[in-house]
Amino acid sequence: MRSLSIVPAMLVLSGSLTFACCQWLIYSYAPTEATMGLTQKIFYIHLPLAWWALFSFFLVFVGSVSYLLKRAPGADRLCAAAAETGVLLSGLALVTGTLWARKAWGVWWTWDPRLTTTLIMWFIYAGYLVLRGLNPPPQRKSLVCAVVGIAAFLDVPLVFVSARIWRSIHPAVFAAKDGGLEPEMKLTALGCVVSFGLFWAGLLWLRKRQLDLRDRLDTLASAAQQQ
Amino acid sequence: MLRLTLAVARKDLSLTLWRGNGLMQALLLGLLIFFVFSLSQEVGENLSPQSAAAVFWLSSTFCQVLIFNQLYALEEVNNSRLGLLLSPAPIPAVWLGKAIAGFILLLFAQLLFLPAAVVFLGQSLHGPLPPAVAILLLADTGMCALGSLLGALAQGQAARESLLSIVLFPLLTPLLLAGIGVGAQIFGNPSPNGPGAWMGIACAFDAIFLATGLLLFSFIYAGEE
Amino acid sequence: MDTLVWVIITNAVVWIGLGAYLIFLALQQHNLAARLTQWEMLRHD
Repeated sequence: MRSLSIVPAMLVLSGSLTFACCQWLIYSYAPTEATMGLTQKIFYIHLPLAWWALFSFFLVFVGSVSYLLKRAPGADRLCAAAAETGVLLSGLALVTGTLWARKAWGVWWTWDPRLTTTLIMWFIYAGYLVLRGLNPPPQRKSLVCAVVGIAAFLDVPLVFVSARIWRSIHPAVFAAKDGGLEPEMKLTALGCVVSFGLFWAGLLWLRKRQLDLRDRLDTLASAAQQQ
Repeated sequence: MLRLTLAVARKDLSLTLWRGNGLMQALLLGLLIFFVFSLSQEVGENLSPQSAAAVFWLSSTFCQVLIFNQLYALEEVNNSRLGLLLSPAPIPAVWLGKAIAGFILLLFAQLLFLPAAVVFLGQSLHGPLPPAVAILLLADTGMCALGSLLGALAQGQAARESLLSIVLFPLLTPLLLAGIGVGAQIFGNPSPNGPGAWMGIACAFDAIFLATGLLLFSFIYAGEE
Repeated sequence: MDTLVWVIITNAVVWIGLGAYLIFLALQQHNLAARLTQWEMLRHD
C-alpha cells in the first residue's frame, strides 16, 4: 500500500508551532491596547479564525463553479471539506467574538456588521452541510450543493451591507472596534493570520484527502457488488 | 419563452387554487403565527412597530416556503417532472413560471396578513405608502426568485419543508432586514434614513438572484437522477 | 473574573474546538482503515 503524503500533517504541525511562537509576539512584542487592555489580545486569535473562515467559504464558491463547469468529483469534495472547515472556524470566531464582547463591553452580543455577517454565514453553511449529509443520488446531490454554494457566497456582501444599514438605524452603541492599529499590532496580527493559515491549509488538505479515500472505497464497494 | 413561462405559471396557479386545499395550509400557518405573537402583548399594550413588521415578514417567509414546496410537489407524482422537461419550454421558463405563480400566491397571502397585523397586533398604517408597496414588491420578487431556484432542491427528500427553510431563511436575511426596516417605518416608527437604503439592498438582491436563477436553475432541475 | 484568565479561556476554547475536529478526522480515518482491511480480507477469500 502506498503510504500517504505527510505534507498535510506537517502543515498542521508547523502551523501549530508557529502559532505557538506567535504567542510571544502577542504578549511581549505587541503593546497592550490603551482602552481595552489585555482583552484586546483575543483579537489576535479572533482575526485569523474569521479570515480563514471567509476564505474557506470563498473556496466553496470556487469549487462549486468549477464543479458546474467541469463536473469533476474532486471539486465537489473540495467544497465539502472547505465548508466543514469554514463552519468550524466561523463557529470558533463567533465564540471568541462573544467572549471578547462580554469582557470588553459587558454584553454577550453586539449587532456589529462583521459579527452579524459571520453569524448569518455560519447559519447558511451549516444548512449547506445538512444538505450534504443527505442521501439523494450522488450526482444530483453534488449539483444541488454546487448551486447552493454559489448562491450562498453571492449572498455574503448583501448580508454585510444590510447588517451595516441595520445598525446605522439603531444608533451605534460601540465605537469601531479596531480603528487605527499600531504597526507592532499589525505585524503581530499578520503573523497570526499567516501561521494560522498553515494550520488551516493542513486541516483542509487532510479532510479533502480523507473524502477522496472514502469515495474510492465507495466506488470499489459498489463495483464489487455489481460483479 | 415568455408565452411558455406564462403557460407554466397559469398551470401552477390553477392546479394550486382549484384543487385540494390549495393555499389553505400556508395561509393558516401564517395567521397562526400572528395569533401566537399577539399573546406576547400584555393587556392594553401593543407590539412595537418593529416587532409587528418582524412578525409580518416571519409569516411571509414561512408561507413562501410552503408555497414553493407545494409548487414543486405538483410534479412529484407520476414522474410528471419529465413531462415538464420534455415540453418545448426552455428550462429557465419553468423557473420563471413557478416564480411568477409563487409571487402571485405570496402577494395574495400578504394581503391577508396585513389586516391580521392590524387586528391582532394593534398596528395602524402611517407613513408614505408608495415606498412601502415598492419594498413589498421588491422583497417578494427576491424571495420568489430564490425560492423558485431552491424549491426543487429537496425533491424526493423526507422533511422537505424544514430542509428548505434552513437553507432559504439565512439566505433571505438581507431582504428580511429590508422588509422589517421599512415595515417598522410604515407601522409608525419613523427613521431619519427613510426607505432609500433598503430599496437599494432589495434591488441588488433581486438583480443578483434573478440572474443566478436564470443561469443555475437548469442544473438543479434537469440534473441527472 | 481576571482578564488574563478570560483570555486564556478564550484560547482554550479555540484549541479545544480545533482539537475536537482533529479527533473527529482521526476517527473517520480509523473507520476508513477498518473498512479497507475488511474489504481486503473479503477479496482474499
